[in-house]
Amino acid sequence: MLDFFTIFSKGGLVLWCFQGVSDSCTGPVNALIRSVLLQERGGNNSFTHEALTLKYKLDNQFELVFVVGFQKILTLTYVDKLIDDVHRLFRDKYRTEIQQQSALSLLNGTFDFQNDFLRLLREAEESSKIRAPTTMKKFEDSEKAKKPVRSMIETRGEKPKEKAKNSKKKGAKKEGSDGPLATSKPVPAEKSGLPVGPENGVELSKEELIRRKREEFIQKHGRGMEKSNKSTKSDAPKEKGKKAPRVWELGGCANKEVLDYSTPTTNGTPEAALSEDINLIRGTGSGGQLQDLDCSSSDDEGAAQNSTKPSATKGTLGGMFGMLKGLVGSKSLSREDMESVLDKMRDHLIAKNVAADIAVQLCESVANKLEGKVMGTFSTVTSTVKQALQESLVQILQPQRRVDMLRDIMDAQRRQRPYVVTFCGVNGVGKSTNLAKISFWLLENGFSVLIAACDTFRAGAVEQLRTHTRRLSALHPPEKHGGRTMVQLFEKGYGKDAAGIAMEAIAFARNQGFDVVLVDTAGRMQDNAPLMTALAKLITVNTPDLVLFVGEALVGNEAVDQLVKFNRALADHSMAQTPRLIDGIVLTKFDTIDDKVGAAISMTYITSKPIVFVGTGQTYCDLRSLNAKAVVAALMKA
Amino acid sequence: MASADSRRVADGGGAGGTFQPYLDTLRQELQQTDPTLLSVVVAVLAVLLTLVFWKLIRSRRSSQRAVLLVGLCDSGKTLLFVRLLTGLYRDTQTSITDSCAVYRVNNNRGNSLTLIDLPGHESLRLQFLERFKSSARAIVFVVDSAAFQREVKDVAEFLYQVLIDSMGLKNTPSFLIACNKQDIAMAKSAKLIQQQLEKELNTLRVTRSAAPSTLDSSSTAPAQLGKKGKEFEFSQLPLKVEFLECSAKGGRGDVGSADIQDLEKWLAKIA
Repeated sequence: MLDFFTIFSKGGLVLWCFQGVSDSCTGPVNALIRSVLLQERGGNNSFTHEALTLKYKLDNQFELVFVVGFQKILTLTYVDKLIDDVHRLFRDKYRTEIQQQSALSLLNGTFDFQNDFLRLLREAEESSKIRAPTTMKKFEDSEKAKKPVRSMIETRGEKPKEKAKNSKKKGAKKEGSDGPLATSKPVPAEKSGLPVGPENGVELSKEELIRRKREEFIQKHGRGMEKSNKSTKSDAPKEKGKKAPRVWELGGCANKEVLDYSTPTTNGTPEAALSEDINLIRGTGSGGQLQDLDCSSSDDEGAAQNSTKPSATKGTLGGMFGMLKGLVGSKSLSREDMESVLDKMRDHLIAKNVAADIAVQLCESVANKLEGKVMGTFSTVTSTVKQALQESLVQILQPQRRVDMLRDIMDAQRRQRPYVVTFCGVNGVGKSTNLAKISFWLLENGFSVLIAACDTFRAGAVEQLRTHTRRLSALHPPEKHGGRTMVQLFEKGYGKDAAGIAMEAIAFARNQGFDVVLVDTAGRMQDNAPLMTALAKLITVNTPDLVLFVGEALVGNEAVDQLVKFNRALADHSMAQTPRLIDGIVLTKFDTIDDKVGAAISMTYITSKPIVFVGTGQTYCDLRSLNAKAVVAALMKA
Repeated sequence: MASADSRRVADGGGAGGTFQPYLDTLRQELQQTDPTLLSVVVAVLAVLLTLVFWKLIRSRRSSQRAVLLVGLCDSGKTLLFVRLLTGLYRDTQTSITDSCAVYRVNNNRGNSLTLIDLPGHESLRLQFLERFKSSARAIVFVVDSAAFQREVKDVAEFLYQVLIDSMGLKNTPSFLIACNKQDIAMAKSAKLIQQQLEKELNTLRVTRSAAPSTLDSSSTAPAQLGKKGKEFEFSQLPLKVEFLECSAKGGRGDVGSADIQDLEKWLAKIA
């Protein structure tokens, strides 16, 4: 059922591979590496690629990766257990080869793991099948239902035990209470005969009878005490006179008791020859209950002892090994070691304006990368975690694809068509201002620019672009460029269809020979569905070469929502198989944030697109490109 | 009474007398221990300094023996690394980290080099290049000859970055551009790849100089690649750039041997 299972080192060497199907596993695994492992999205260990689901496990001590792939429609519950078992067996079996951490040992080692893997796979599949019948809830419910009944019985038994003990002590001292006992006994005997039904009912009724007897017993004991205190002398001769008839009556009652309580009498028969009738009655009940309680208590004590001993031994061994490892200096990182440091790092990132969700995911990914890694002798947990986080941040900010506008414009020139750039974003982030800056930059490099005023909603948008065009024309008049118009505005006023205006602008640019068309769109909130649909239409109809999302550096958690919904709108309303999404990011108002540069991380992490331009002011020269190392240095500065 | 008083006076005098020699001995002991402590501290410092100095010397000697394998993703660097070391074929995946190994050179002197296979992914390659470039004796830039026409801009951009970094080093490394995957029918020849790269790098010089400056103001002026005002050629560079063709996979799939004899000769020459 598995498509493949592969084990390879982080350096790229495949140590062992199991092929369930004939297709090669290189493509999906490479996609996993590029989309998850190299993008710091390792918090979740599941990844979907076309029709496959891939699950992976990192061994950071020996720098290995274990990947399993199976069809998406299947629900294989044993995959996680299989990965763990294979991981444990593989590293134990080939410890000598992989422990040296040298490429030569990996190359020279032969990893014949087929038989072991098939055995583990068979065991995992069988265990998953065996577990299926255990899901029947009826059995569990019945077992759980029985348990409270037993516990209730035990709880009832404890209290009468104490009462019986007290009654024993009282009875031993006072003998005058024999009379009332004899008179009261025939009444419960009659009651016991009445209920006839299931066993549970019988048991309950018996317990009730026992309780009633004991209550009456205790009450009469109280009365007996009072009488004995008042007249001690008169009782003695009365007892002597009553001996003969009392013995006969008690004997009869004893017979009845034997009939009613068969189990207590077996316990009480040896005592009958030794003690009086009162002792017989009391001893029988308490004896049986004591035995039951002793059994249950001994079980509990045994369990407690078993639980305490192994924990103590584990603690001592762990402490000793920990001390030894500390002395030797090659300590292995665990999740608990990193917990406090990662909490501080996460709070630090959030303080620097990184979105909270992204900060959590980043720290989770760094923890997964470092767990099990062997630290150097003189490095601390804090320095290791901080360095790993810094490398991850630099990795995120490095662009995934090459965005070189000048080079692409040259290509478009050669093909006799204009290069189209579309600016989109939410309201007030500075789209028109940065469009003007980019126009200035392109003009300085000798390219002619047509500005398409597709913001037909905001008051003053066309006038703003007209003002920019006039100023840019003054800086680059046609006289300096051989009579060629270098910058021009294409506008159709307000209330028109933005997609139509963009289409006309592109046709106009092609006819007039402009090099670049910059399309300015209206700002819109990501939750405004009609406006997002209009933007998707504009981009679908005009197929621009570059779609730039303009976001401001002041944004915090909102960056995630904005970019996710902009990309989703472009994807949902596109008719093409591969929808056109955001190609790059323009980060504006960078001069206002000092060193809280977390928005750059948030935006780049969400989209995997590079930050093409950074706006640092309001003049035409305030346009920069992003330096990943400088930004990360500002982020990590405490 | 008089005798008792005289005894008391005698006892007081005795106590005062006993204290003075103790104080004298303490002073003498302190004077004696101070020079020894100083000497011990000086000795420990001397040992530490020698250790640090020895480490520095050792690190300097060990550098400049590395050969870096750089290039784009999927250009065949890891397989080339495996072939050079063992001659065997191995399946490979995209590299996440670097791989180091000692390579025995086939020449009379019996020298050895340290082969380092660097990841080619866009997120990682600049970091690893920054880390290893100072210890590079030679750089082998691996190009996928079959996909070169499609990737020429990406190859040129990374090559531009590597050349700029190489020219900035004190000890200029030797440079080789290995046109890999020559076993595929669509592969371009080394001559054609050289011409295309020269043309592309000429364009890239213009666009790179015109790019907006970075945020940190401490960056120095970027180095000029080649001669200003002239068409770019590799011969204009201060470091020697050579081209050769090779195939890490070989002509008959997994069974065949790799066609890397030229690369091995070049490595023997620079060792």
